[in-house]
Amino acid sequence: MSALLAEAPRAPVRAGPEDGDLVAMTLRGNSEAFATLVERYDRAVYHLAYRTLHDVEEARDATQEAFFKAFRSLRTFRPGSKFSTWIFAITYHACCDRLSRRKHYASEELPERADASPGPEARVIALDEASRLRAAIDALPEKYRSVVTLFHLQGKQYEEIATVLGLPMGTVKTHLFRAKEQLRRLLSGTEVTES
Amino acid sequence: MTMDELERAVMELPLEEPPEGLRASILLATAYRPAPAFAFYELAAIGTLGAVALWLIVLLVSGGGVLFVHTLSAISSVVLRSFSNVAFLAWLAAGGATALWLTLLTGNHPIAALSHRSGRQGGR
Repeated sequence: MSALLAEAPRAPVRAGPEDGDLVAMTLRGNSEAFATLVERYDRAVYHLAYRTLHDVEEARDATQEAFFKAFRSLRTFRPGSKFSTWIFAITYHACCDRLSRRKHYASEELPERADASPGPEARVIALDEASRLRAAIDALPEKYRSVVTLFHLQGKQYEEIATVLGLPMGTVKTHLFRAKEQLRRLLSGTEVTES
Repeated sequence: MTMDELERAVMELPLEEPPEGLRASILLATAYRPAPAFAFYELAAIGTLGAVALWLIVLLVSGGGVLFVHTLSAISSVVLRSFSNVAFLAWLAAGGATALWLTLLTGNHPIAALSHRSGRQGGR
């Protein structure tokens, strides 16, 4: 049962036209079709943006940017591929751009910001279960965090996760395995030495 | 905590709640974006007409009316001479036929494309 649960993708599956059909309808001038796609994926896209950027405003902007880019380049969407993977990849790249700009800005102008808040491991303590898990995911290195967030959204669809991140599938599986190991250690209070 | 339990816990984490108005702002920037009042070619045509009108006004106000008439008659005589030239008409027909042939060859029927475009504009 748990295996079945884990296999199910988190990206919404609803009654009605398939995503590919909605893309085709949008390309034929049906605005409502794209609105349906936005309704299906805005929450998942925002989730990915927020879990990557950890900033409400930036996540909001990245979500808007992702849908805007998707709408403008809808003709490049390959029929037969998954819309969720495509929109997640656009979102992930938008977030990476923002992270790299933020790092550049922080290293030049705000060097003291990094030491201002408590370490991520300290935040894991004294929170409820879901919050503890979230805090533990936040404490993971960036490369592991992205894999776990996409695993949360897409389930065990390693190939799709690999496509979004632009990594080989073996690397995704390794990252996910190591991420889960670190999560277990963080949640059980064991010190994590691997970075 | 076993790996299965951890996986299940990750899968069961609720998604982040998006800020209010996010969906509306996405839709306003994409699917429900208001169409511009003028298309690019319409703006270009209006600009060209405006520039020609301004040029005419300046020409007439500065007393260049005679020059304007001369220029106009020269242009019209060149056009008339061209269209009475068999070689010119032959080249024009060849160019038009080639363009039509290439359009049909690429699967874009010009009349079908025009009716499709007008249908889309009507649907909006």
